[in-house]
Amino acid sequence: MTVTDVDGAHEVITSVQSGRTRVIAVIMIVLGLFTLLTFGLGASSHAHSAMSFAPVNSTNAPWSLGNLTVLTRWTNMVLGLIVLGVGIEVFVRQPRRGVMARFGGVSILFMFALLFWAVRTDGPSQVSTFNLTALLIGSSAATMVLVFGSLSGVMCERAGVVNIAIEGQFIGGAFAGSVVASVTNNYFSFYYAALVGAVVGGLIGLLLAFLALRYLSDQIIVGVVIVTMLGSLSSYLNLQVLTPFPNFNLGNLAPPLPIPLLHKIPILGPVFFNQSGFFYLMIALVALVSFALFKTKYGLHVRAVGEHPQAAATVGINVVRVRYINVVLGGAIAGVGGVAFMASQGQFQVGYTSGLGYIALAAMIFGRWRPSGAVVASIIFGVSVYLSYTLQQFNVPVSLYILQMFPYLITIAVVAGLIGRVRPPAADGIPYRHD
Amino acid sequence: MTDTANAPVAPKVRRTYSEWMNSKSAIVVTALALVLGLAVGAIIITTTTPAVIDAWRGMFHSWGAPGHALKVNFDNVGTAYRSMFNGSIIDPSGFWHSLTTGKGWTNTLTPVSETLTYAIPLVIASIGVGIAFQTGIFNIGANGQAVLGGILGVAVGSMLHMPTVIHLPLTLLAGIVGGMLCGAVPGLLKAYTGAHEVIVTIMFNYVMYALLAFALFSTALQQPGQQNDVSRTMDTSAQLSPLFGANSGLRVNYGIFVSIAVVIFAWWFLDRSSLGFDFRVTGANPSAARASGVNAKVVVVLVFLVSGGLAGLAGIVQAASTTPQLSGNFLIGSAGIGFTAITVALLGRNRPMGIVWASLLFAALGVGGRAMQGTTGIPLDLATVIQSAIVLFVATPVLVKEIFRLRNTQTNALQLATKGWSS
Repeated sequence: MTVTDVDGAHEVITSVQSGRTRVIAVIMIVLGLFTLLTFGLGASSHAHSAMSFAPVNSTNAPWSLGNLTVLTRWTNMVLGLIVLGVGIEVFVRQPRRGVMARFGGVSILFMFALLFWAVRTDGPSQVSTFNLTALLIGSSAATMVLVFGSLSGVMCERAGVVNIAIEGQFIGGAFAGSVVASVTNNYFSFYYAALVGAVVGGLIGLLLAFLALRYLSDQIIVGVVIVTMLGSLSSYLNLQVLTPFPNFNLGNLAPPLPIPLLHKIPILGPVFFNQSGFFYLMIALVALVSFALFKTKYGLHVRAVGEHPQAAATVGINVVRVRYINVVLGGAIAGVGGVAFMASQGQFQVGYTSGLGYIALAAMIFGRWRPSGAVVASIIFGVSVYLSYTLQQFNVPVSLYILQMFPYLITIAVVAGLIGRVRPPAADGIPYRHD
Repeated sequence: MTDTANAPVAPKVRRTYSEWMNSKSAIVVTALALVLGLAVGAIIITTTTPAVIDAWRGMFHSWGAPGHALKVNFDNVGTAYRSMFNGSIIDPSGFWHSLTTGKGWTNTLTPVSETLTYAIPLVIASIGVGIAFQTGIFNIGANGQAVLGGILGVAVGSMLHMPTVIHLPLTLLAGIVGGMLCGAVPGLLKAYTGAHEVIVTIMFNYVMYALLAFALFSTALQQPGQQNDVSRTMDTSAQLSPLFGANSGLRVNYGIFVSIAVVIFAWWFLDRSSLGFDFRVTGANPSAARASGVNAKVVVVLVFLVSGGLAGLAGIVQAASTTPQLSGNFLIGSAGIGFTAITVALLGRNRPMGIVWASLLFAALGVGGRAMQGTTGIPLDLATVIQSAIVLFVATPVLVKEIFRLRNTQTNALQLATKGWSS
């Protein structure tokens, strides 16, 4: 946010911030009461819940943490009271900093309360558990794809081009990645797949850039039509090529590359240091894009082009070239994201990205067009995507179809709650004509 | 290109050709976009059909091989497009047979009937999307709105029992209400929180798919005695029955009158009503609209109500005219008329009559794609690829003119208010 010298503007900004803080505080209070009443008092007094920490598919874990078994009602009431307390604290004190951090912490507590409630069992003999490590690993897969997508969005939109086609780049990358990984089918196959996925995503980005920059077409229309095209093209190719030649779609999963020693750390090890190469690539890309956009001359040019292309052109920056470069690079990143999705899900299937590209766009907005913010937002969305598919196996009195709506509803809530208050790059989505 | 500045009289043939081409610019560009779209489809068929690839692979084996490969290539593409044409418009040999013997008219007319059947809900949904586009609103959620319209409409059509005069209008009304409900939320969110409608409507599409699955497995809507995701069957009094009777074999139905009514309504609404005028002004110049006293927030909500209502109507018309019940694949994949509607509205330049022609074209492509899949095994999704390619070309008329070396004059390009996330 730009702080202006004008007193009036300053007051407006402060009052908007205070209003937003109040809204977040109210949300937290509601979550706290809900936890207290439903997850706490709603559970019978002798119900137990257990949480396990063992890494998935690991028979020779060098360490072991026992299961944590708790009384559902009392644990959740304590969690609910903490959430309620934080909410009241924020409402009364209206702290200037750390509101979102508190909100993040509260969301995590709420999630634990939800899970404790979902796995509760009444009898003392058989205690069902939820595996925290499995939850984090599962969420990291969706999160990773969303990070790739939102980084792609950041690259394009910082240069002033709206990339709605991320979903299409996911589809293209996933398809090409699956074919390449299956055809090569050796130790290096996912390196080739990532490379080809990047090329495919970059080409889709080039198509978008070509139509949007050279012919000044509407970026949103072109993006939406590109997604439709890629969706139907992948469906066509799936029936025409992959079905008769199943060898093109073996569905290999990218092998984990454990980092020596570090991967043995309890919980953190399997989540952060025993992932496929795509995970490490994602972390490197986040750092790289942050550095490039905010610490280099190139990044300064990009942001100038995204904020005020005419001014940028005046000082000798080639606006159209910068936009071409960024849209193609952004497309390549999203293409790799598609390969990463395929590498964590297996066989290419039509429509299996199910709107993740659009959720990634929302994550980018939520992250305020910053790579670091996009990561935080992607984690929230990633966990909700994973939970919506995992909660079904537990004791939840909600239809699995209703659960499936949650990631999308959360996306809508986030976009509705934030978009008026975050500021996109000023020239985002506006065609630039060099006169 | 010749240097026109130094040559005051350009070559006459070229000039008349250009003049002729430019005289009906929009139509010419659309026609050329169709040609280019079919060319894209031909390239895709060529590069993905095993028989064609095998023929080209052997092109160095003998002197005649390249010619043979070319022939195989043209045969495959030709058969595909011919079956598309025969299956969606008319089969010339069947037509000749009917004409000479007076028999088999049902078979001869089936392709046209199928295309019309496909086009009926498509026109309605596309007009809804087009009205939103004209107001500068991207309603990408027409499919979700059609799904909710279908759910509510089928619920009314199957659970209530009344005479046709009341039941059918009530069913259609339920569809409209469903679409309006689903459209109202993005509209309200956009108006009062600034949430961009593209993301919200797309998310609602997925929410509505989940809701459809939920509804189809619920005791209220699921066909009694069924384990699958199939809804109750609508009463015949709530269905749009075939125009020529149920035994005619032709599926074209009374929904055609609903479509015609919607087209007339859209023409009247956009060109004659004051609300429609407000819509168009808002789309053309939001600040001018604000200055002249148009309440932008109210307009946004109303646009979504109109657009969503029409999409919902399309959903229930689709259900009531073809399969009188819903199943899990209702409006999914290539059957998602809400997505096709976006491309149709763009192709028809958001005008009612333009949308009618565009719907007929895309309906023919869709129905033809089905026929092509039946005859040649080439998946019908190719039709959707061709449709999106056509729209990409129509959205960039300058590109089309450059490809065909036409003089670049002012075209009726898609004039939409381009904007970022915040407006």
